[in-house]
Amino acid sequence: MLSFIARRLAAGVALLFVISLLSYLLLSIPDTDVGRQILGSGAPQEVVDAKNAELGLDRPVPVQYADWLAHALRGDFGTSWFTGENVVQTISTRLPVTASLMIGVTLVTAVLSLLLGVWAGVRRGAADRVVQVLGVLGYALPGFLVTLIIVVVFAVRLGWFPAIGYTGLTESVPGWLSTITLPVVSLSVAAVAGVSQQVRGAVIDVLRQDYVRTLRARGLPPWRILYRHVLRNAAAPALTVLGMQFVGLLGGAVIVEQIFGLPGIGSMTVTYTTRGDIPVIMALVMVTVVGVTIVNLVVDLLIGWLNPKARTA
Amino acid sequence: MKKSTRAGALTAVCAIAASALTGCADAGGGSGAKGSTTLNLATLTLPQSLDPADANGSALPFFQAVYDTLIKREPNGSFSPMLATEWKYNGDRTELTLTLRDGVKFDDGTPLDATAVKANMERFAKRTGAQAKTLKDVKSIQVVDKTHVTLKLSQPNPAMLYFLSDAAGLMANPASFGKPGDPLKTKPDGTGPYELDSAKSAIGTRWVYTRARNYWGTRLPYENITITYFNNETAIVNGLRTRQLNAALLQTADQQVAAESDRKLTTVPQEFDFQGIVLFDRGGALVPALRDARVRQALNHALDRKTMLSKIRQGRGAVTDQIFGTQAAGYVKELDAHYAHDPAKARELLKQAGHASGFTLKLPRVSAIVSDALASSIQTDLAAIGVKVTWENVDAGAIRKIFTDRGFPAMVMNLGQPADDWIGISDYVLPGVFNMFGTTDDTVRELLPKIQRAPAGEAKTELQALNRHLVEQAWFVPFYRLSYLHVTDGSVKVTPQSGMAVPSVYNYAPAK
Repeated sequence: MLSFIARRLAAGVALLFVISLLSYLLLSIPDTDVGRQILGSGAPQEVVDAKNAELGLDRPVPVQYADWLAHALRGDFGTSWFTGENVVQTISTRLPVTASLMIGVTLVTAVLSLLLGVWAGVRRGAADRVVQVLGVLGYALPGFLVTLIIVVVFAVRLGWFPAIGYTGLTESVPGWLSTITLPVVSLSVAAVAGVSQQVRGAVIDVLRQDYVRTLRARGLPPWRILYRHVLRNAAAPALTVLGMQFVGLLGGAVIVEQIFGLPGIGSMTVTYTTRGDIPVIMALVMVTVVGVTIVNLVVDLLIGWLNPKARTA
Repeated sequence: MKKSTRAGALTAVCAIAASALTGCADAGGGSGAKGSTTLNLATLTLPQSLDPADANGSALPFFQAVYDTLIKREPNGSFSPMLATEWKYNGDRTELTLTLRDGVKFDDGTPLDATAVKANMERFAKRTGAQAKTLKDVKSIQVVDKTHVTLKLSQPNPAMLYFLSDAAGLMANPASFGKPGDPLKTKPDGTGPYELDSAKSAIGTRWVYTRARNYWGTRLPYENITITYFNNETAIVNGLRTRQLNAALLQTADQQVAAESDRKLTTVPQEFDFQGIVLFDRGGALVPALRDARVRQALNHALDRKTMLSKIRQGRGAVTDQIFGTQAAGYVKELDAHYAHDPAKARELLKQAGHASGFTLKLPRVSAIVSDALASSIQTDLAAIGVKVTWENVDAGAIRKIFTDRGFPAMVMNLGQPADDWIGISDYVLPGVFNMFGTTDDTVRELLPKIQRAPAGEAKTELQALNRHLVEQAWFVPFYRLSYLHVTDGSVKVTPQSGMAVPSVYNYAPAK
């Protein structure tokens, strides 16, 4: 197990390096004039050139990358070209916002998908049809539309929740809950629709297996068959999809964070990428790669823990 | 018994959850209630830093909260004392002497004196800030005594007082200059009415200012000011509707309509930018036809501005044919309608100029400025007189190429209409970024020195003559002035600021 974890972590580090190199090159390809972006279209060209030189952009791209890497290895990701903020500091203030969202959505998705998927898979008939229709609806409705409807109804019209802003968990637990509830609900709709179908399908498949029929013939109670045998075997595909959803949530978080005015890394990615603020974008890429590596590792470990047969794979 | 315990626990959980959720509606975004001591502002502008050397345009309120300017610019554009109590030009307007307020100090006790002013202005001019150019005419700064400083100018600059009420006039503590890590970028040190509360602020997202103890001047009405950055106006409008935000400026027509449809919100329109085609190539270097004023006049006659404004901006703005805004001395009302939409006349003008068969105009298209509807509208209107417009998409980050490569004869832009005429003239008429080929003519050459050397308010005739000349010679093809909307949640009264799209921090007060 330890060597498995070590191998995965080593692969993660290699991935980090390759992606950092590719990202830096890709970010440097567009003929973006950062100095002009910072100073505005009215700034004289000599001032723009001086700004570019001040940022080190007059050097060849490989030199810029080597410089960035040398500093990054020491934990120094520099300062934003546009706002002068310390990159590590600014990401650390925004990461909890997006992490709250992603963890919240994952928990809500896991619980609801499990309940709906198992209900549909075991009961079949009308229950199954209801879950399938809800699943199709959840998928079919555009995420931004769901989010806009939710914010207008529950925040603007009813005033039950704030329409914008974020309160940190350390600042106020109720405040934190109130500010992430609607965003989490918005993001969970499509996620639950997807994962519950996976759980349903996996449960139905396992229930059709010969060993389940044998267990039933031996007179084991249905709940025991379900919890001890069916769910364990059905966990792998559901967890894999849940893990992929978690990673994919960053894309959804971009829209939700913008609509709710949440200062997370999703909205930050949009703002800084369109400007070409390489120090910030590179740090965001690194955070994302680390996050994806960790989530994938955790999913693999969970699958192995739930289903010993999977450990040899 | 067991059942009732469960029911009780469930009730308690529901009660806690309900109180938590309803109670936190406030916590989510701040206080917007009437009589609140906090002013919550929304912005779409990210300041480059909080160092005055980086101050620029719509980011000015971030700085005004913590720094004072030498001169204060009132909402109507007039100047009043701030850190400087008096100012006076010499006879040929090449020396400007400022009398400084005595007794103003920074937090660490450093006095705001003539030496501090000199250090600030020299630093501002040397740094690579967007507004450093505004002090290009300052040849030297002489410290006369502790409370007097003289700016020696290489040539008269009618906008100098304006600049001293803007970014160039922001005064920081010279003790912070040259410190490692450039602390002013995130920890401002000025003599302003507020201090940045670093613990509550998240630079890049939310800036929280608290009232400065021992502020030398008149206290502003709010104990705290919070400025929150948003990258879209949908969230801003929702925040105003739920009173989590108190005031904001909306630029997009859709969100302006949304705000106006909510009766609880108050709105104040303001015109600041104009949109139009800036004709760089008036000398005909790239498109020879543009050298002829009749061709440029034809372009102006070809556009159906009223329809464009109605369809593209939902009527939010005012059609115009001049680059001078309504607050400028050079503004002439009738020039807003100088060029009627008259394709037949446009074709006749082209014929007279020897271009009856038309010509091709290759224009850069920055999607953030030129929407599909606008691109199509311009293309259709100009095609009707035989001018074929081809659009070349340009990424916003590659705008430099337009100015350095000089490969386009013109460009559709949104440009400010400063209240100070000389700023508009410097930006759009004198050789520079927006007059990249440096074109001029005898009338302009004759009028500019008169305007430049005249005392404030005494060049109106020349300014209007210049404006009329620019319109008649069709230096530009303006479409319309864009109408922006100041929106408040009803608890705040906002006064628009002359010469700025965004109001100064001094312009907010509780609504009565």
